[in-house]
Amino acid sequence: MIDAALFSSALGALTPILLAALAGALCQRAGVFNISLEGTMLVGCFAGVAGSWYSGSVWVGVLTALLAGTAYSLILAVGTVTFAGDAIVLGVAVNLLAVGLTSFLIQTVFGTRGSFSDPTLPGLDPVEIPLLRDVPFLGEVLSGHSALVYVSWIAVPVLALVLYRLPVGLRLRGVGERPEAAASLGVAVDRYRYGVILAGGALCGLAGAQLALGNVTMFSENMTAGRGWIAVVAVMLGRALPWGVLAASVLFGLAEAFGFRLQGIGLPQQATDAAPYVVTLLALFVFSARLRSRRATRRTTVT
Amino acid sequence: MTQPAVQLTGIVKRFGELLANDHVDLTVARGEIHALMGENGAGKSTLMSILYGLLRPDAGTIALDGEPVVFDSAARAIAAGIGMVQQGFALFDSMPVVDNVIYGAEPTRRGLLDRRAATAAVSELVERHGLRLAPTDRVGDLPIGVRQQVEILKLLYRRARVLILDEPTAVLTPAETEQLFTVLRDLAADGHTVLLVTHKLHEVTAVSDTVTVLRDGKVTMTGPTSATGRAELASAMTGREVDLDRVYPAGQPGAEALTVTGLTVDGRAAGRPAVDDVSLSVRAGEIVGIAGVAGNGQTELVAAIAGLLPARGSVTVGERELSGLGVARRRAAGLAHIPEDRAEVGAAPGARLTDNLATGFHRRPPLLRKGFLRSGAMRTHAERIIERFGVRAPGPSAPMRTLSGGNQQKAILGRELTHEAPVLLVEQPTRGVDIGAVVGIHTELIAYRDAGHAVLLVSAELSEVLGLADRVLVMYEGRVVAEFPKTEADPHAIGLAMAGGAPRGVAGGTAEDSAGGAAGGVAGAAGGDEADVVGDATGHASENMAGDTAGDTTGDAAEDSGGGAA
Amino acid sequence: MNRLGRWRGALTVGVAVAAALVLGAILLAATGANPLEAAGAIVTGAFGPDGIQDTLAYAVPVAGMATALAIPLRAGLVNLGGEGQLVLGAISAVAVGLHVPGPLGLVAALVAGMLAGGLYAAAAALCETRLGVPLLVTTLLLSYPAMSLAAYLVRFPMRDQGSSLPQSAQLPPDVRLPALAGNGLTVGLFLIVAAVAVYAVVDARTPAGFEARVTGWGPRFAQYAGIDRPRTTLRLLACSGGLAGLVGAIVVLGFPYRFIDGALITPQYTWIGLLAALLAAASPLGTLVAALFFAALTSGGFAMERETQVPRELTAVLQAVLIIFLAATTGLLRRRRSAA
Repeated sequence: MIDAALFSSALGALTPILLAALAGALCQRAGVFNISLEGTMLVGCFAGVAGSWYSGSVWVGVLTALLAGTAYSLILAVGTVTFAGDAIVLGVAVNLLAVGLTSFLIQTVFGTRGSFSDPTLPGLDPVEIPLLRDVPFLGEVLSGHSALVYVSWIAVPVLALVLYRLPVGLRLRGVGERPEAAASLGVAVDRYRYGVILAGGALCGLAGAQLALGNVTMFSENMTAGRGWIAVVAVMLGRALPWGVLAASVLFGLAEAFGFRLQGIGLPQQATDAAPYVVTLLALFVFSARLRSRRATRRTTVT
Repeated sequence: MTQPAVQLTGIVKRFGELLANDHVDLTVARGEIHALMGENGAGKSTLMSILYGLLRPDAGTIALDGEPVVFDSAARAIAAGIGMVQQGFALFDSMPVVDNVIYGAEPTRRGLLDRRAATAAVSELVERHGLRLAPTDRVGDLPIGVRQQVEILKLLYRRARVLILDEPTAVLTPAETEQLFTVLRDLAADGHTVLLVTHKLHEVTAVSDTVTVLRDGKVTMTGPTSATGRAELASAMTGREVDLDRVYPAGQPGAEALTVTGLTVDGRAAGRPAVDDVSLSVRAGEIVGIAGVAGNGQTELVAAIAGLLPARGSVTVGERELSGLGVARRRAAGLAHIPEDRAEVGAAPGARLTDNLATGFHRRPPLLRKGFLRSGAMRTHAERIIERFGVRAPGPSAPMRTLSGGNQQKAILGRELTHEAPVLLVEQPTRGVDIGAVVGIHTELIAYRDAGHAVLLVSAELSEVLGLADRVLVMYEGRVVAEFPKTEADPHAIGLAMAGGAPRGVAGGTAEDSAGGAAGGVAGAAGGDEADVVGDATGHASENMAGDTAGDTTGDAAEDSGGGAA
Repeated sequence: MNRLGRWRGALTVGVAVAAALVLGAILLAATGANPLEAAGAIVTGAFGPDGIQDTLAYAVPVAGMATALAIPLRAGLVNLGGEGQLVLGAISAVAVGLHVPGPLGLVAALVAGMLAGGLYAAAAALCETRLGVPLLVTTLLLSYPAMSLAAYLVRFPMRDQGSSLPQSAQLPPDVRLPALAGNGLTVGLFLIVAAVAVYAVVDARTPAGFEARVTGWGPRFAQYAGIDRPRTTLRLLACSGGLAGLVGAIVVLGFPYRFIDGALITPQYTWIGLLAALLAAASPLGTLVAALFFAALTSGGFAMERETQVPRELTAVLQAVLIIFLAATTGLLRRRRSAA
């Protein structure tokens, strides 16, 4: 029931969520509530498959996904930062646009409806890590994932480094905590917000590439299936801290992988589909009890 | 060599139809403390925002040490050696002092933040200027007075030669204010130039070398402080004679209407409660005033009585015990409340005046009939309040935010008084209200008392408390530390109690005891010097009438354009 | 000032619509279709003698969901769990309808749908008020298990034995809403019209509606005025979920008279409805108008696909683009106003 393969599949399952959640955490830190992760990831999925298919190289596909995610997130950046539009309205609209746009493009580009896959579509190959591969158990869990899985692992400490050890991270956190104070010290708040939204778009693009070229090798309509929303929740659960977001994502990954296992012993697939959401909700209940007592004391000082 | 450190010439700034700065000239010599005075909306904040690069003037020039400069951003002004501490704090509470200080000008080593160098630099500044804080302290945990010092550290770290402080003392205790002034004198002696924006006369006379007064966007007076009388400054600032120190005749108290016993509200930090075992009572036909420096539990006390904050202890209105009841039940039992925060708590700025005035009356006749709200009745209700309390508004359908601060306050006052509740809680009734409207609001409160209602008044303006209250309570660190009847309410003694000079637990004692004990206690402990300062601060509290500048149009506009990113 | 604001508002909407149309024309031209022809097909498809019926059929769930989500939005509460409430309402209605015969079954099915959606949304509200998890998150997270549950039910216990598709058995003829047209339009239309009317009256004329609006203007003002936020949240969410559940029931009680997995999700009723509500700031009439507009665009899209072979998803793209432009330009308006 619980073996190396379980953890290995958990790692694969959590990668798109982790990448998107890191994007969300970055935005949150700069005071941008980004709920467009789902749609941006979906665009990344499509662009990854299209790039990979037309170039014949999966790396061109990954690059296309990254660029498409960045370009797509420009909509949110312009809308919320330059035009001061409502972040929730824009986020929902951007998600809806992604569904419509990819469904439209799959017909105009690939000439099919619903989904596109082909045996010759290049996907991401598993990377065997020398040495580590031979360690019992750990090797089976940690080795043999796609390169993007490893990228996502590296992204966590890199984000922590940027946020806490680089000047740009300090400024960014200030922009998120108190934009008017940051502006009064000569920090260009809008530029930082553009930066995090676009960087977040790139991360979501990679998340899409991993989903469509790593976890599977195909594109299907609405294939993100709520992962972007899980990422939004992971940001909240992880309090927008890089390591916290990682912990939350691992929780979802385990819930999903464990769910697959339960199917093996006769539980219906639908029960396991619901598992990550239920686990998340339960985790939030536990965490919010602590947060709530803190918030209650903070409220006295608001007045 | 004799070039002035700062010279503004012919500055003009318009916001729509409002002329915020009308050909303003300002010359500030190197190494002096220059006070910039004026009432709300006189254009002080606008002028300083222009100097700091947050706003661009429509006309006029800026010269530093004789060199003309043009600032299109705060960053440019900072680079030129100008630093500004804005109203309220521009600090990141979650970060340590050192991060706040270096923010935007971080030292790096191989691309990484160099925290060691930063801490060393900040420690050195702290020591050189004799500040009382550690670089690693989290700003959110520091007392208000120390946060002000963090703001100044930020400027010194950036090697600012010209320091602008916009109303820095609004949130400070008298002792913290004096500490700040010591730091400022020290900085000026060190060759820094200090521009102090204030509307408090006693601060001008206490610390400045030169003073410039603005009124309606124009300079009305400028000259050395020592050669300028207070009366002269006051009339330059207001342009008329207003009797702000009016003391209203005492009321005729009847039965106890509001009784608070052992009320305790938990504080932000574990350990010290925000309101600590407070007992008080207010009788019908009586105004009880609560004096105290902001942040000593007054806000929390009123919020707890109104049911907005959870609290232990007992609150009774008439015969009715209110503890455990929600806001609606308490209001129904006979409480009305004029809150401190007009924009967020007392009103809905985006909603129509009619809706704002109907709130609280919407569950009973005449607004409600057979389960439905009558829009005609709502309109009549609003028109009646507008008429009766002289609210100047385009009409009942105008959104609340289109009204001036004073008229918003009159509308809220009217709504709450119309309840005819036996007990009225009032916080900062004239903050940010034009002087003309102050007297009207005071008259209404006195009339309400004389009609047999009980009023609990919280105000940061001591003159207001002294003028209106039949009895004065002083709050310090969450406790009621002194009590004075109207006849014995002496600004000097109250000022001492506000600064924590009253012995603990005297709330029940006689006024003479507590006042005498307080004065003696501080004189013995801290020497006569501090007592003098406190006396000065409170004795001239009347000039603070214009209050906080939160509702100030030009200030708001300046903030909007400055923090446009938000 | 006020009139000027209104003019500017109208102008903004005009600019946003024009910009979306231009973008749509470019996309159409890129697919090789004649933009004018396609636009013509959309208009006749949406409002032509045949098209209007399709528009109305699609408008019933969209307007219903838009109103359902507008109800809490009036108080500033965002219900992101409309899909779960919709699906739960639908599956409950089918479950009851298959077991309670006769006209009583019809009424029982509608009530069951309302109860299921309402109770489920109320549970999300309790998670916020009692457990302190933000409503935005609880509604969203509870949505997925509800969809999974329905998917499970129609695959196993409630599955139509004669079919290989994940769908329930068909409801008996007397447990169906009377049809108004052959395309699934039923008397459910009147139920939705009634719901919108009730919402409009409650919103404008009752203390409860007034208190919801006060809460929307400012939560701290509402608390100060004595409005009990937890109770308001619970009530509004129950109404919201109840209406969403009713919409689900109405859809499955119309043609093809069964629950088909995914049939309520794929058309994006919920998200389009939410956007209609958001754009209209939850005002009852505005929400209805926006929902009707989106419904017309969608049914026009089907006609366009039939006549010009341009994928109908283009209209979904147009919708989203239009919303983005509107959100951006209204943000610009708001920013100007606060600076002035």
